[in-house]
Amino acid sequence: MEIQAENLHVSFSAKEILKGVSLAAGRKEFVGIIGPNGSGKSTLLKCIYRVLKPGKGAVYLDGQELQAMSVKSSAKKMAVVSQHNYYNFDFSVREVVLMGRSPHKKTLERDNAEDFRIVEEALKTVKMEEFADRSFSTLSGGEQQRVILARALAQQTPALILDEPTNHLDITYQLKLLKLVKSLQVTVISALHDLNMAAAFCDKIYVMKEGGIAASGTPKEVLTSGLIREIYQVDAEIVLDSRGNMHILFV
Amino acid sequence: MRKRDASEARPSFFHTSVFILALLVLLAALALSVLGAVTFGNADLSVKDVYSVILYEVFRFDSLSAYKEGPVRDVVWLIRLPRVLLALGVGMGLSVCGVVMQAIVRNPLADPYILGVSSGATLGATLSIMLGVGSFLGGNSVGLMAFIGAMITSFAVMYIANMGGRATSGKLILAGTAVSSVCSAFSNFVLYITNDNSATAQVTFWTMGSLSGADWARVKVILPVILLCGLFFWSQFRNLNLMLLGDEVSVTLGADLHRVRSLYLLLSALMVGFSVYCAGMIGFVGLIIPHVIRILFGTDHRRLVPLAALLGAVFLIWCDVACRVILKNAELPIGILVSIIGAPCFIYLLARRSYGFGGGR
Repeated sequence: MEIQAENLHVSFSAKEILKGVSLAAGRKEFVGIIGPNGSGKSTLLKCIYRVLKPGKGAVYLDGQELQAMSVKSSAKKMAVVSQHNYYNFDFSVREVVLMGRSPHKKTLERDNAEDFRIVEEALKTVKMEEFADRSFSTLSGGEQQRVILARALAQQTPALILDEPTNHLDITYQLKLLKLVKSLQVTVISALHDLNMAAAFCDKIYVMKEGGIAASGTPKEVLTSGLIREIYQVDAEIVLDSRGNMHILFV
Repeated sequence: MRKRDASEARPSFFHTSVFILALLVLLAALALSVLGAVTFGNADLSVKDVYSVILYEVFRFDSLSAYKEGPVRDVVWLIRLPRVLLALGVGMGLSVCGVVMQAIVRNPLADPYILGVSSGATLGATLSIMLGVGSFLGGNSVGLMAFIGAMITSFAVMYIANMGGRATSGKLILAGTAVSSVCSAFSNFVLYITNDNSATAQVTFWTMGSLSGADWARVKVILPVILLCGLFFWSQFRNLNLMLLGDEVSVTLGADLHRVRSLYLLLSALMVGFSVYCAGMIGFVGLIIPHVIRILFGTDHRRLVPLAALLGAVFLIWCDVACRVILKNAELPIGILVSIIGAPCFIYLLARRSYGFGGGR
């Protein structure tokens, strides 16, 4: 699926958070958004997954304007893994993942064997199948994040939006999660903090600074020591290893 | 992979067959409770007499025509049965509203009265008792004024919470608290300036709740309302589940809950309003019954709504029976009894099972 954001503006009272941001993610492309804290990454993603309505500009899914679609049909097109998943009530892991099936359900429709199969499969994919009957709130932060990813997988959408998905995860699962997402063959837009991860997984990177796009392109085009100094005020060296993979060393 | 700890694992109560079994058991318990509860009361009637009256009224068997009229028939058919059915309706309604309110405000401490309904109803009742406001409304003017008070405060809270942007759970609770304070202040003001001790006692008594005003006219109004609204909320299990995840997550899962929330608030206000009209304020049922079911069966609303409805009905029927028989020739207000019986049971469940009200354990 293709996702386009055109000229998005968002302001909270007098403060302008997004100052005309445009972004395009092609079919099955892995698009990363990097930038310092407060640069507007989450706000941009929230506009895309329609939790925030931009003051100006629009988001298009496969050419269709997002605000003109029903919430249900947009939820069939993209699933979201975001940073905050704190629930005041005890759901079991399976119940949380089963909620990923809700956009596919009519009001009175019951969950059928197919839904349960999809849920089990999603749990297996994130290696949480043994936790299916556990209470979601008793899990560690990283386990919860994997369950939320399983919920997004159960939604079976052609696009995934990840808002700093690797928060709370140890390095093993950071890599596993991104590899898994990459292997899904869907359109992905992800905010990332770790520049090495961004270099390793993204097809295209957008760099945000103070509510605008400072640069965009392939990792090799974008991640240069000059740009890293400009955006993050740190000195870095870009190294290519024997397999031709990029590594960013902070000096 | 972390080893699964038996104490952390969910009870195996979880599967559909167990849910259906629980549903059938509670349905049977409800039927038996209705039949059992009509045999209790101050009038000393034999069990045979009681059932003969009911059988005659329902099926009109000629062989039982001796029970067509007379004091026995009046006690059973005009006093006891409507009362038991009213207890059923009120218990069911308050439990379902408790479930719904806890979902709407995403707070486990919510109860049906949280959005200022209790203070609004009390203000209505106080105005009626102390100043005779609404006496032209006839028979149950106190109940009717309480109903009006409950509805007005519900609308006021919804309106205030929607001012300056969409209502959130926090805004709803705060608006409810604020409106509550205003209503309590007015109630107290009326009590203070009229300075009428017997009427004050009457207001206090009203706030403790009672099902003694039961008659068929009320049952015929409240039972259909409660049953229809209850079934409606059962059909909304998916939205209710999503509500607990919050509006942002719900949007990404394909549900815009803003509009349905207003509808749910309206219907619960109606249900609570009717139960206030019929029985005054009965606290605690709507708070604990949802939690009891959650402790045993989890938070999923497709199980929670019907099981809470049935358990609430059974619970209130037996509380009302106890109110009628504990004191000789007098009645205990049901609000007192519900708390006396309910709170220790609830504390026991809390202590026995690990149950994270606020998420963490």
